[in-house]
Amino acid sequence: MQYGFIIDNRKCIGCHACTVACKSEHEVPLGVNRTWVKYIEKGTYPNTARHFSVMRCNHCEDAPCVEICPVTALYTRKDGIVDFDPRRCIGCKGCMQACPYDALYIDPDTHTAAKCNYCAHRVDIGLEPACVNVCPEHAIISGDMDDGSTEIAQLLAKEQVTVRKIEKDTKPRLYYIDGDEASLTPGETATSDNYMWSSQSDGVGHFARYIEERTAKADPEDMIRQLGGTGQEEQTGGGQNDADGQNGAGNQAREKTGSERENGKGAAARRVYDAPDKGVLWGNDVAAYVWTKAISAGAFLLPFAASVFGYAVDPVLAWAGCTVAFTFLLATTILLVSDLTQPKRFLYVLLRPQWKSWLVLGGYALTLYGLALTLWAVAMWTGRTGAAEIIGWITAALAVVTAVYTAFLFAQAKGRDFWQSPTLVLHMLLHAVLAGAAVFALILLFGLPGEAWTAFVRNTLIAAIILNLLVIASEMLTPHPTADARKAVQAIVGGRYRGYFWVLGIAVGNLAPVVLAWTGSEAMLVAAGAGVLIGLYATEYVWVRAPQDIPLS
Amino acid sequence: MSIRHKPGLIESLAEKIGLIPNLHEEDGPDLPSLTEGGALTDYPPPDQWDDWVEYEAQDWPRQQPKRYMVVPTACFNCEAGCGMLSYVDKETMEVRKFEGNPYHPASRGRNCAKGPATINQIRDTDRILYPVRRSGARGGGEWERVSWDDALDDIATRIRERLQQGANNEIAYHVGRPGAEGYIDRVLKAWGVDGHNSHTNICSSGARFGYALWHFFDRPSPDHANARFILLISAHLESGHYFNPHAQRIIEGMMKGAKLAVMDPRLSNTASMADHWMPTYPGSEAAVLLAMANVILQDGLYDGEFMKTWVNWQTYLEKEHPDAPRTFERFIDALKAVYSEYTPEFAEQESGVPAAQIVEIAREIGRAGSQFATHNWRSAGSGNAGGWAVARCLHFLNVLTGSVGTEGGTSPSGWNKFKPNVFDHPPDQKFWNELHFPKEYPLSHYEMSFLLPHFLKEGRGKLAVYFTRVFNPVWTYPDGFTWVEALRDEEKVGLHAALTPTWNETAYFADYVLPMGHASERHDIISYETHSGTWIGFRQPVLREARRRMGDPVNFTYEANPGEVWEEDEFWIELSWRIDPDGSLGIRDHFISPYRPGEKITVDEYYRYIFDHVDGLPEAAAEEGLSTLDYMRKYGAFEVEKTAYAKHLKKLDDETAAGAEVDPETNTLVADGKTVGVMVDGTPRAGFPTPSLKQEFYSQTMVDWGWPEYAIPTYIKSHVHPDELDRDNGEFPLVPTFRLPTLIHSRSGNAKWLNEISNRNPVWMHRQDADRMGITTGDLVRVTTEIGHFVDRVWVTEAMKPGVVACSHHLGRWRRKQDADGNRWSVNLVDIQEADGGKWHMKVMDGIRPYESADRDSSRIFWRDGGVHQNITFPVHPDPVSGMHCWHQKVRIEKAREEDAYGDVMVDTEKSFEVYREWLAQTRPAPGPGGLRRPLWLNRPLRPAEETYYLPE
Repeated sequence: MQYGFIIDNRKCIGCHACTVACKSEHEVPLGVNRTWVKYIEKGTYPNTARHFSVMRCNHCEDAPCVEICPVTALYTRKDGIVDFDPRRCIGCKGCMQACPYDALYIDPDTHTAAKCNYCAHRVDIGLEPACVNVCPEHAIISGDMDDGSTEIAQLLAKEQVTVRKIEKDTKPRLYYIDGDEASLTPGETATSDNYMWSSQSDGVGHFARYIEERTAKADPEDMIRQLGGTGQEEQTGGGQNDADGQNGAGNQAREKTGSERENGKGAAARRVYDAPDKGVLWGNDVAAYVWTKAISAGAFLLPFAASVFGYAVDPVLAWAGCTVAFTFLLATTILLVSDLTQPKRFLYVLLRPQWKSWLVLGGYALTLYGLALTLWAVAMWTGRTGAAEIIGWITAALAVVTAVYTAFLFAQAKGRDFWQSPTLVLHMLLHAVLAGAAVFALILLFGLPGEAWTAFVRNTLIAAIILNLLVIASEMLTPHPTADARKAVQAIVGGRYRGYFWVLGIAVGNLAPVVLAWTGSEAMLVAAGAGVLIGLYATEYVWVRAPQDIPLS
Repeated sequence: MSIRHKPGLIESLAEKIGLIPNLHEEDGPDLPSLTEGGALTDYPPPDQWDDWVEYEAQDWPRQQPKRYMVVPTACFNCEAGCGMLSYVDKETMEVRKFEGNPYHPASRGRNCAKGPATINQIRDTDRILYPVRRSGARGGGEWERVSWDDALDDIATRIRERLQQGANNEIAYHVGRPGAEGYIDRVLKAWGVDGHNSHTNICSSGARFGYALWHFFDRPSPDHANARFILLISAHLESGHYFNPHAQRIIEGMMKGAKLAVMDPRLSNTASMADHWMPTYPGSEAAVLLAMANVILQDGLYDGEFMKTWVNWQTYLEKEHPDAPRTFERFIDALKAVYSEYTPEFAEQESGVPAAQIVEIAREIGRAGSQFATHNWRSAGSGNAGGWAVARCLHFLNVLTGSVGTEGGTSPSGWNKFKPNVFDHPPDQKFWNELHFPKEYPLSHYEMSFLLPHFLKEGRGKLAVYFTRVFNPVWTYPDGFTWVEALRDEEKVGLHAALTPTWNETAYFADYVLPMGHASERHDIISYETHSGTWIGFRQPVLREARRRMGDPVNFTYEANPGEVWEEDEFWIELSWRIDPDGSLGIRDHFISPYRPGEKITVDEYYRYIFDHVDGLPEAAAEEGLSTLDYMRKYGAFEVEKTAYAKHLKKLDDETAAGAEVDPETNTLVADGKTVGVMVDGTPRAGFPTPSLKQEFYSQTMVDWGWPEYAIPTYIKSHVHPDELDRDNGEFPLVPTFRLPTLIHSRSGNAKWLNEISNRNPVWMHRQDADRMGITTGDLVRVTTEIGHFVDRVWVTEAMKPGVVACSHHLGRWRRKQDADGNRWSVNLVDIQEADGGKWHMKVMDGIRPYESADRDSSRIFWRDGGVHQNITFPVHPDPVSGMHCWHQKVRIEKAREEDAYGDVMVDTEKSFEVYREWLAQTRPAPGPGGLRRPLWLNRPLRPAEETYYLPE
């Protein structure tokens, strides 16, 4: 048994009845949608056409949201419905990164992920989903696709159908008759915060909670200025940041309106109505966590590697590395938890584990790494050097896992093409090494130990920077297979993030340090370390954010 | 199927030792499924409606059973009155949601977005829950709560006093959305007042008049589902009067192979779905239609048989070609000659639609023959001077193709509309209210409602008691500031009672604001010509009905509704009773129960009587062992007739036929100088209810009432015709009438889910025009009308005819600082300043904002732009013939000036008065033949006694 949907575009009149019926059935809060209708226009007068496309969860056979969900809050039922349990959800937003169809949102009431669940509560008593019932045109067809007697099975047999983003290999169970390619491919049309009869000035969903704050502060005069501005850009006045410093969804949307201002020249498809933009979901918390995690891993790995390579590492250095590693691991955990919309449920990751999720594997890696660090410290403290060596190897291995697992997690975020890069593992590992070297470069400030060690730090730093530049170059220069990934690259090297990337990431984070480290003095090396850490943060920030600017629907 | 999560080892352990909450405790019970094997059905069966159990969606995937009473009612957003099922939570006795009613013959279980959004309106935290009376100056924004008793007594006393003085014409009821069948007419007749005023002349009366000239019935009833070709001069796939029922059937027809053509200068959603979009220049539609008629005639694609029998061609030849032989062939020759001037090339020149496209469509129409469905409701018919000619020319195509009253064709509205049989018929009123039907507009199809403030200003009369009901002229009508001037003048409007479910710009200027129920909070019966069948729908207050079913009945609807929200039906009974406390005015007699002699009628008895007298309903009810009233309470709708075609072929009753003589010339039956039937192949038939009983191609009425140039279907150049525009001066025709699929006039500002989708109304402009003017999307422009201007943003688009601009309706709602909070999803805060000489300035002080309320969603409003109020900057444009307000505006567009801000409005009401006078001067006033005020044969709302039709000598 396999439930599916057909959206019959021969009949859909774009009336939004499904949108509202769904809101009513599920009491979906303002600003987010389980189903909505996207309008695009094509052609030039008088050969203009408007296309309506109902967007929602595709109830994929291989649902990336289910795979990434660390706590089985999302699951595929035997009848094919991808359902969710808000009681389990920790609000990691992984599902929203994994879903290539923009189907999920964080409910501002429950602070948990939600989406179309095929009205499973109705289906279980034999009722059609609410949207199917309301549709004036019977343009939404539901039913068991495996049962040849159903309308949906017969239509599938008879009519040519299309699905969204077939290349994602998710096997959607939502099919379009007369699907419009330009509507179903998000990159074909630019998003805007001003459509033919709607507008978006503030964040929605996850970001909605910041509106109150923002409007309480706002000056009515300023509000009029915003309303009276002559162009869309001028509306950005409000731009307060949300709690962790990232911009709300509305501001996010505004950045992308450039092409709209060309008055829709030519026959290119134009997005003329869409649901509000949900904004960037993984913001500074996540960028910072990748950064602290790299520091934590690198701080342990650097002295460990040195001793493996035969350097006589002063135990004080090993202790320093362990302390930094532990501190930043703690910071990593705090950042991870604070990014959850249900932070109190953070233990669910470990205690309700869904083993395919790299969030779970990563969570366990972090935990075990912390445990190993502790054991190592105990062994060292109690002078059990033999045990410390063995534990050291285990700790180092866990440090590597800690450093690189995020690459696998990002790869599980199937919605974000840019993160699918195979070099991301190397990128993460190198960042850990760089971070470790940078940390020990900074520790030189305390006037610690000997030339050999300084040379080791210097050489590691220089080597890691060179390798890092090579990896970054390969990530930026190797042609990415998809348009969305290329767009992210473009945003990084030539678009919105070019300042972060070139100035902070490349110049401050790599070029200056390599020059400084080369020139020799210890002070210079310290400065190089500081530069590397700044650059690493900028790079993580850019890597985390840039792909999220690209609309999934 | 219950799908429960099975915990792993770690989770089980962690739950057991209490580290994390146990989510695997016993769940609610498995509810039975309505179907087997995973099949799905649409609605719970009616036998379970009294105790319907389903899982609570909010708790899912926990299986929490929720018990509902399912009660049918009807939507009250647009006029279509689609069926809805309300789900009344039996625990809280609140409505949880609305779905469609599968037993409703027109909407068939389906709704547009506005149906399910009714729940927003019910739960609106800004709604008016109790009657209020103003406590300061009128319009001052100060209100105090009053009891229904006090309000009723005060209003009743004033009405009684005026009636006793014979000032019956000072009592008026002005309705926006009627949503009922004739209830108020009976009340007003019982009071003896000619007090019905409606919104129709700013809505649909242009097209209505065009249709009425042909065959008395003033609306089309297209059988879209069975058509081969559908021609729409309206946007019935997204708005229009019967949006959802029509949209269902248009697409149904198209899926069966029908082709769709749409005329609209804007690419509406409907136009986008069409096989042919004809972006006609506003007002040129009739020229295109006549060019099509020309093609159909020249190509011989007309239905000669139908026309020969059912068109009054003999009269045409007699009057226009008296010397010609009276043969049908001669008539066709004359037609060809007359319409040959409407060449496709001429139509192209007027409309901008390519001649080849016009010819192609005309031929497709000709080939569709009797399966040709058409519709014009508002659109061009309401936009243009002479817009009534559009519907007339459109119907001409139906006549030519013989698709009048056929399967797949277009029937007259009356054939598919049920007329209730009420328990008591008060006599026709002996008054003619010239504030509604002034002498200047003898043919005005409905009341000249939008001239009311101008008439008051001129001193033509005054109003002692003025009811506005679901009616918001200050915002919706043209020249709203003139309405403000009239409404605040207590000399002109003695008492203004606003009957409304929600605050609106007109209610701000009332003395009483009396909260009336939304869709599920009131009684009405409704019936519309949505398709080829006939049905009645029953709107009922669902909480009242649920309580009755649960053995806890109430006496008045306000006892069951939220707060003290009432309904008009009971209000009018109570008010009428109090106007005539001792029965001396004879009013009480009309409110006596037909079942309990001498007692006051109840609303249940009123409907029981009607339902007892619906053909077939008593039988259907009896089959279920129910009374007719209980049947309607249970199902909410009844199909009176499944299909009805060719009613003009109804055989004339023998008695009438026997007493009549056949006129050999016209083949009509004449008795006492009146045409009573039409002979068709030897059988007397009923025909159409016109003077000739035929389709009146030639209108003697137009000739008799001073418009001989419009004796036959003609193209009339619009007031926004290119000849009238100075393009070099930045002038454009503005199409201000386009509606959105999600909103409904000024009544949906309280529906958050609808405003979430649509919340602003930029001016749509084609790229070429924008480029020429150096304008891009989002730029501010000043749009100057004849009487003022507004400042709005521009939406640059390929979906607009170049040289024409459009701005949608519904948005730009406002409240002043002193006004009550209402509809805050869509209402701007404005400051209004009035300067000497009728100069009004409105500035937007604040847009839409999140706010705190019991509804958490109000703090999540993500839009700021509430749109711009355009209608208030329009002068009145009464069509000199139909009386329809001609909405389109000649405007000048320029980039906003330094001093302009978004949402600014400036109006000069002295200028607007001048414009009114200019248009008034174009009229050809009564009397008509025999000293009549208006033709006797045409319909008139609240038809008074015949003697009042004659102007005093």
